[in-house]
Amino acid sequence: MKEAHHDEGHGHEEGHGHGTKYKFGMVIDLDKCTGCGACMVACMAENNIPFRKEDTNNRLTQNFWMRVYKISNGLPFPDTEISYIPRPCQHCEGHGHHAATPCVSVCPATATDYSEETGIVSQIYTRCFGCRYCMAACPYHVRVFNWWDARWPKGMEKYLNPDVSPRMRGVVEKCSFCFHRFQRARNKAYAEGRRELREDEYQTACTQACPAGAITFGDLQNPEHKVHKLKDSPYAFRLLEKLGTNPKVYYLSQRDWVRKAADVYMGEEGKDVFPG
Amino acid sequence: MKLGRRTFIELAVGFAAGAGAGFMATPVNWKLMDDMAIWTQNWPWVPVPDRGAVTQADTICKLCPGGCGITVRKVEDRATKIEGRVGYPVNDGGICVLGTAGLQLLYGPWRVPAPMKRVGKRGAGKWEKISWEAAIGEVVGKLGDLRNNGQAHKVACVLGSDQGTVAQLFDRFLSSYGSPNFICTTSSEDTYELATGLMEGVAASRAYDLEGADFILSFGCGLIEGWGSPVRVIQAHSIWRSGNANERATVVQIEPRLSNTAGKADQWIAINPGTEGALALGLAHVIIKESLYDSNFIEKHAFGFENCAFAGKTCMGFKELVLNEYNPDAVSKITGIPGSKIVSLALAFAKAKHPLAVWGRGKGTTSGSLYECMAVHALNALVGNINKRGGVSARPQLATRQWPEVPQDNVAIAGNRMPRVDGAGSGQYPLTRYLPDRLPQIINGQNGGAIEALLVHEADPYYTTLDSAAVAEAFDRIPFVVSFSTYFDETANQADLILPNHHYLERWEDCPTPVGLRNPVLALLRPAVSPQFNTRHVGDVIMEIGRDLGGSMSEAFAWESYEALLEETMGDKWDTLQETGYVEEKGYEPPAWGKAFQTASRKFEFYVTAFDQAGMKMKEDQDYLPHYEPLEPEGDPAAYPLTLIPTELMRLADGAVGNPPFCIKTLEETELKGDELFVEVNPKTAGDHGLSEGQPAILETPRGKAQVLVHLFEGIMPGVVGIPKGLGHQAYDDYLAGKGVNANSLMGVVEDPVSGLCATWGIRAKLTRA
Amino acid sequence: MSAEEEKDQTVAAGEQEEASEEQAEEHAQGEAKGEPVEPGTWRFLIPLAAFFVGFVSHFVVGWVALPVLLYAEKEQPIDFNHQLHVEELGECEGCHYFREDGSFSGVPKLDNCLECHEEAMGENPEEAKFVAEYVEPGKEIPWLIYSRQPVCVFFSHAAHVNMAEIECLICHGSMGDSKHTRPYQYNRLTKYSRDIWGWNIAGMAESGWERLNRDDLAEAGDLEPARMKMDDCAECHEGHKGKGYRDACFVCHK
Repeated sequence: MKEAHHDEGHGHEEGHGHGTKYKFGMVIDLDKCTGCGACMVACMAENNIPFRKEDTNNRLTQNFWMRVYKISNGLPFPDTEISYIPRPCQHCEGHGHHAATPCVSVCPATATDYSEETGIVSQIYTRCFGCRYCMAACPYHVRVFNWWDARWPKGMEKYLNPDVSPRMRGVVEKCSFCFHRFQRARNKAYAEGRRELREDEYQTACTQACPAGAITFGDLQNPEHKVHKLKDSPYAFRLLEKLGTNPKVYYLSQRDWVRKAADVYMGEEGKDVFPG
Repeated sequence: MKLGRRTFIELAVGFAAGAGAGFMATPVNWKLMDDMAIWTQNWPWVPVPDRGAVTQADTICKLCPGGCGITVRKVEDRATKIEGRVGYPVNDGGICVLGTAGLQLLYGPWRVPAPMKRVGKRGAGKWEKISWEAAIGEVVGKLGDLRNNGQAHKVACVLGSDQGTVAQLFDRFLSSYGSPNFICTTSSEDTYELATGLMEGVAASRAYDLEGADFILSFGCGLIEGWGSPVRVIQAHSIWRSGNANERATVVQIEPRLSNTAGKADQWIAINPGTEGALALGLAHVIIKESLYDSNFIEKHAFGFENCAFAGKTCMGFKELVLNEYNPDAVSKITGIPGSKIVSLALAFAKAKHPLAVWGRGKGTTSGSLYECMAVHALNALVGNINKRGGVSARPQLATRQWPEVPQDNVAIAGNRMPRVDGAGSGQYPLTRYLPDRLPQIINGQNGGAIEALLVHEADPYYTTLDSAAVAEAFDRIPFVVSFSTYFDETANQADLILPNHHYLERWEDCPTPVGLRNPVLALLRPAVSPQFNTRHVGDVIMEIGRDLGGSMSEAFAWESYEALLEETMGDKWDTLQETGYVEEKGYEPPAWGKAFQTASRKFEFYVTAFDQAGMKMKEDQDYLPHYEPLEPEGDPAAYPLTLIPTELMRLADGAVGNPPFCIKTLEETELKGDELFVEVNPKTAGDHGLSEGQPAILETPRGKAQVLVHLFEGIMPGVVGIPKGLGHQAYDDYLAGKGVNANSLMGVVEDPVSGLCATWGIRAKLTRA
Repeated sequence: MSAEEEKDQTVAAGEQEEASEEQAEEHAQGEAKGEPVEPGTWRFLIPLAAFFVGFVSHFVVGWVALPVLLYAEKEQPIDFNHQLHVEELGECEGCHYFREDGSFSGVPKLDNCLECHEEAMGENPEEAKFVAEYVEPGKEIPWLIYSRQPVCVFFSHAAHVNMAEIECLICHGSMGDSKHTRPYQYNRLTKYSRDIWGWNIAGMAESGWERLNRDDLAEAGDLEPARMKMDDCAECHEGHKGKGYRDACFVCHK
């Protein structure tokens, strides 16, 4: 496992006039994750993600913000092992210069941006014109393109969440860490005359839904938040850490092969990792 | 002046330039450009969800027997999200993949919008909307005729469960009408209840204290794949996976395929399918031989462990049977597990602080073998964890108010005396309450006339019963089928009338303790949204049908409405239920060993004396004891060299409710691709049969044939083929129908010799290149 | 040859060509009496006049006709008297309140009205209509909302009213003083309320923020609602951009 860049980019604690700065992130315990898929469906329900009957299991056209990948250690029967990796947007911070977030640096329309207040990578649908550079740039395949206008079977549009705008054809979308929930929580705080949010006030839909409690969400730089400690676990790792994207989604696993599978190994490098 | 060409051009160009300049001197051009940009962002067909006040409504999810508490987030009168209810005793905030997608079922096109009368051929999906009066009138007319013609006992109800007031209403309806044929679909719960009844003498549901166990030995249970109350078990799994290496519980999964549960387990032991019972006895052998059993429990509270006197003779005890028959070598031959592994597993299990053996294949949807269940239960008894922390107990339900006795006229009394059509409770199977899986065979065997009218509620027997071809034939032989389904499911599709029930988010109903839960909980479904369609509560409908049939039947349903009945039945719990949605018996402790067992010996019986009481004549001593009796899968191994086993997936609902689009979307691309389903095959087996990844193949069993795609998976035992359950629907709509193959159509019913319940665990099959 | 001459020659050549074509046309029509076209110094006036006509007409169309054509107008379902209600019930917050979760309730629902208007309280025909058409059948009033933002916009009243302490009338104008509802106008293309873009077609209306620094607001009397375009939001929110603060889009857009 490569050494995690835990300490990078922590120098932004001072306020910008609105008082609070956050760096929201996630720690996902892969030993607890059962691959049940509740996070995926909770995300789809929360974020008005469309579905089409033609898209069943078509990786090219399916729309997922949170996707659970199944991986295997590649050993033959009966030594085979499997694990699941839930993959939301990794909300890469990059190093130093913020434009190092891979998608942000290539967007010609400033439709996607890195928020210094929350550490969340935004996506503005009405601003996006669908060039899909960001999709090419993202090493995690978190971005999806709307090849069609979203259509809901008659009557089903009733369950749509007004906090998230349904997207039109021709734009890119992705996980927002349920930013609208942050907005709602902040709204409530404002109405009560507060600026600070408590840890439990802002949780993403997937975190809330996970029956295994495998997902922990919070402010990575707030020592009182659970993620702050979890991310420093010796079993913590991030995906494709080599690339230096500095993501804010951490994973935990006590299984060596799972931790190793999180990075891409070429040729000789991979020999010890995947003996199969 | 004549308008020459030149002049014309001069004028035109001048005017155009002037117009342009004039226009440019106004703000309208910029405004129009801006408006046009905005226009492209607001296509009229992209819906704009209305904003409004956000409220929460707490109720109970009814999509599976798990009984999770849910919180429905609403925007004005629209339900926009289902979340797990925080603090609820079953699932404390967690929710499963199906429960989250519940709103797609509420608002989806698969809802039955009004009472429907079939106009085309059965299954053609041609319906006519009729009024409730007309629909109820039709049912009353038909049932009235049957009753008058002395055929009351040929009416049957099939339900998904016999718990709660709605099921009781159906039961009451049949009792007052004059039919013994109240039938519920069965699951591993039924077999476990039977085993508990036989070995402990109590009629109660089994409950596992999963959270308190530290060594979980699972005999093929899909612990994190929808087994038991799914969210609760997944939460227990997370407790097992918490803390450092010393604090973590050990999970051992025994099954032929690397399921998610096996994948997460500390140890996965691949076993020859169908031989789990032998392994349990093999483990018992080691535990007894090494004297690692709980001697206090065995000596003071168990009967039939040692050889014992019963019915005037000395009978062989469990100990002797196990020591003689199930040594590791013998068991190794049956199960394919090395003897040394059996020994080490038995030692680890017996030496753990809170060992727990759990039983029920997959999600527990198939009833399974009684002796196998008894063998696993005996294992728990050996380590003394009956009614203990981290053990297994028999859990009663919270008491509700009894209803007045059912008034019965002569027709009712005569009808109720007739034997049940499924043969349960008498003759060959005196111990069993319901045997729905036998119905197709019986109906087809009698060439019609066995059942004249069938009422179906919250069950989809047309889809879930094994051997779909026989089921279809049986339905053809039932002249009148009424469905109370909320959705256009398979059975509703085959019905003559659909009297749609409210969706579970639209209605009041009680919900007894969910399967497997240790503490008794009584919960209440409270409507989160108003009815979206012209539906009616099935409780009200069945009472109205009863009243309209007249005579003593009107007296049987004297309640004003279902809500009134519910309030009366809940008695003193009603106020709490209405306010908080549930009542939990928090400090519940199962009875101590001295008082726990109601068997003839007042002890835990390894040697089951109740068989004789029930009038069952067992041939040999071992028939009274948990033992291994192989249930051979159907088919000639020479013609069908492989073994097909069903696999159950968390993301794929395979019961009475079809998988909603969101859940279908989450299936792996190695499970379903477009409309084609994958079967899992070990690469070695695939090589032997000339198959490769993604290749179309024909899967054939003695019961059916289907085209599938091949997925090579190292995690499945060579010689075994895994097929996911829950696909191949014909009903619902395009999002589900026509995708994949119904695994039930490829398998037949193998009856358990003692209970008569369906004990099918697989079938012989062959796989050839398409 | 000077540039002038060259131009003349070109023009002449063009004329000849044109003349022959014209003759052909005339023959075809059986008429041959047309006067020869003389090149004259006044000729430049032709395009100029056309230019002028075009300019003026489109200037008028742009300033006067199109703004009228671009917007459609609807009357509110009930002619509501804000002034009366403010007098009776006090400040705006009485009806337009914050919900417990911090969201803004916006236009009151029928339930709020029912607290007083279970039956008609006075003799106003509008009230009678309200009771007959909405109270009795229990139907929500389909108010047309002047300041409704499109679905892609997130706006927090709590942030602006509670935290920034901006008064309602800064953005919504002196709505509370009105005795009658004004017609609701919306853009035929975008379907947005006209208030969003501002009533001045040139977009020269005042934004709310500009008013913030005005001392004469108290005496302003009839204050029109402010414009609510993105630019108006950006006057404050884009300020962050200068400081290297890059949240501008996600703060307001969803």
